[in-house]
Amino acid sequence: MPKKHLPSTVYEDVTELPPSRTARNRVKRAAYSAGLAVEDRLEPSLGVDEARSSRFLGVEGATVSFGQGDARIWPLRGVSVTFQRGTLSLVMGPSGSGKTTLLSMLGCLLSPDEGSVFVDDVLVNQLSETEKTAIRQKKIGFVFQAFRLFHSLSAIDNVALGFELRDPKQSQRLEMARQLLDQFGLGDKCNQEPNELSPGERQRVAVARALAGDPPILLADEPTASLDAQAGRNICQILRNQVDEHGRTVVVVSHDPRWRKFADRTITLCDGQVEQGGRNL
Amino acid sequence: MKLAWQNIIHDRSRFSVTVLGVSFAVFLMVFQGSLLVGFLRAASRLIDASDADIWITARGVQAFEFGTTLESRVREMAAGVPGVLATDRVCMAFAVYRTPKGKQQVVALVGADPNVGKRFPVPDVPELAGEISPDAVLYDVSDRDLIAVPALPTEVEINRHRASIERQIQGYGAFLGVPFLFTSYRNAIRYLGFGPDDAMYVVLRVSKGSSVADVKQSLQERLPEVDVLTRDEFAHKSRMYWTIKTGAGGAILTAAVLGFLIGLVVVSQTIYANTMENIEEYATLKALGAPRSLVARVVLTQALLCGTVGSILGLIAVIPVINHATSLIPWIYMPWWLPAVMVVPSLTMCSLASIASVRSALTVEPGRVFRA
Repeated sequence: MPKKHLPSTVYEDVTELPPSRTARNRVKRAAYSAGLAVEDRLEPSLGVDEARSSRFLGVEGATVSFGQGDARIWPLRGVSVTFQRGTLSLVMGPSGSGKTTLLSMLGCLLSPDEGSVFVDDVLVNQLSETEKTAIRQKKIGFVFQAFRLFHSLSAIDNVALGFELRDPKQSQRLEMARQLLDQFGLGDKCNQEPNELSPGERQRVAVARALAGDPPILLADEPTASLDAQAGRNICQILRNQVDEHGRTVVVVSHDPRWRKFADRTITLCDGQVEQGGRNL
Repeated sequence: MKLAWQNIIHDRSRFSVTVLGVSFAVFLMVFQGSLLVGFLRAASRLIDASDADIWITARGVQAFEFGTTLESRVREMAAGVPGVLATDRVCMAFAVYRTPKGKQQVVALVGADPNVGKRFPVPDVPELAGEISPDAVLYDVSDRDLIAVPALPTEVEINRHRASIERQIQGYGAFLGVPFLFTSYRNAIRYLGFGPDDAMYVVLRVSKGSSVADVKQSLQERLPEVDVLTRDEFAHKSRMYWTIKTGAGGAILTAAVLGFLIGLVVVSQTIYANTMENIEEYATLKALGAPRSLVARVVLTQALLCGTVGSILGLIAVIPVINHATSLIPWIYMPWWLPAVMVVPSLTMCSLASIASVRSALTVEPGRVFRA
C-alpha cells in the first residue's frame, strides 16, 4: 500500500490506534479511505490475527431498543454474533426475533444502544453518518425481499446505478452492468423495466445491483420470500456461488428452510436473543 | 440525475398532477399580483404622469381624487420661492355628463395646464397642439360604453356646458367605476364653476441645480397651511390611501397576499406529496450508499423540474387571461418583473418543500428498506 496517501500517523498495517478518540477517528478515516484495515483494540487480550478474524463482521453485546416508557421494545438484548469471511450464514427465527434489526446493524443502518458493530474489521458504531455511508457504498451489497429496484429505470440502469454509487467516475458502468446481467441470464432483459420482469428476474437484477462494484459483504433480507420454488432455488445458488467463487461473505435472513443446505452456519434468534450460533451477555 | 429525470417521465400522470398544481399556484399568484400592482398604479397614475417635482395640495388631502381648492395666492407665493422654475395647475372634480342621447353619467373631470407633463392626458399639450381643439375633451377607450359617443368628435354636455369629445386615449380608464374625462385647465374650471385663479393642486418644477428637498422645505416654511410633497411622496400617499384605507383596496391587498400565500402552500404541498410518493426509493438509494448530497440532488432536481415546467405553463396561461381581463378590469397590469417575482419564490418553495420531505429519507428508519 503506498504510504504517500496516508498521514504520518498511519502505517501500512494499522493494528493499533491512538488513545484519543479524535486522533483515532482521524487515523481510521485516513486508513479507510486508503483501503487499509484498521483494528480498534477494544479487547487488548485478543491477538491481532484473532481479532481480525473474529471481528470481520459481527456484533458484540448489542442491545437495541425502540420507543419509550411502556411502549419500549427490545428487538435485541446483548447479542454477540460474528460472521466469518467467505461464508454464507443464515439467520433464522420467528417474526419479531430481531433478525432484521441485526441485519440493519450489520448494514450500518442502525447503531445499537449498547455494544459494538464491526464491518470489514472496522468498529462502525462510533463512525459518523458520512463514514457509515462510505462503508455501505464500498463494502456492502444489499438484497431486499421487495427487490427495491428503481421502477423508472431499466434493468441495466438499475445495475449501472450500483456501479455509479460505488464509483461515480466509472465510465464503463453500462458495459459492466451488461456483463453482470449476462452472468445471471438476463442479457436479453437489459432494457426492460422492473415491472416487465418476473419476480425471480427482478431479484436477480437486485442481486446484480448488489454485486456491482464488487463489495466483499452481501446482506440479504428474505431474498426468496417473494419467489416461487424454482426462482428461490436460483437465488440460493447464486448467493452460494458468491461465497464459493468470489469469496464474499453473505448473511441471509430468512424463514425459508431451503437455505439450510446452502448455508455454512445457521444462527437462530428468538425474542431478541441468540438461541443458536452466537452468545448473549 | 438520470434517476430524477426518469422518475418524472416514467409516471406521467403524477408528473401532470404536480405540474398542474404548480401551474395553478403560479397563475393565482401572478393574477392576484397583477390586480394589486394595477390597482396601486391606477391609484397614482395621474400624479406619476406629471413631470412635476413637487405637488402642493390642501392640508390633509389623501389622494388625487379627493382634492379641495387652494387659495389663489398659494400659486403666486410658490412661484416666488427660489429654485421654482414653473408652476402649473391641476384640478379634478366630479361632474354630470350627458350623452348625445340624453343619458346621464357622473364623471371625474380632470383639467390641467399644458406643461404639467408630456404623459399627462390634456388636449393642449404641445405634442397634440394643432391636431385637436384646445377645448377638446378626451376619454379612455375602456370607458367607451359609459361615455357612449357614436363618433368623434361628438358634442356632449358637462355640468350643462357644451363640450366636445374629440379623442380616445389609453391607460387612464376608470378604476372606481366613474370614468375620467380630461380637458384643459381653463375648460375644466369653466365646466366645474371654479374661479379663474382657483386650483386644487399646484405642481412645480424645480430649476436645474436646485435641490428638490431644499425647495420643498422653503415652500413648506412659506406656506404652512398647505401640504408640500414631492411627486413620489404624493403618489405614495395616494396609493396607501386607496390600498389601506378603502374597502376596495383592502380587499385587493388581502386577496393578493392570500393568493401569494395560498400559491406558496399549494406549491409546497404539491411538491411535498410528489416527493413523499418516492420516499421508498430515496430510502433505498441511501441504504445502497448514496451520500446525502446525491439524494438531495435527485430530489431537488425533480422538484425544480416540476416547478419550472409548472411555472412556465402557469405563465403561459395567465398572460392571455390578463390581456383578456383588461376589457373587464382596465387597470389590471402585469409588469415584466412580476412573473419573476412570483416564480422565484415558487421555485424556492419547491426546493424547500422537497428538502423538507427528503429529510425523512435522509433520516431513514432502517426497517423501512427491509420492509416488504
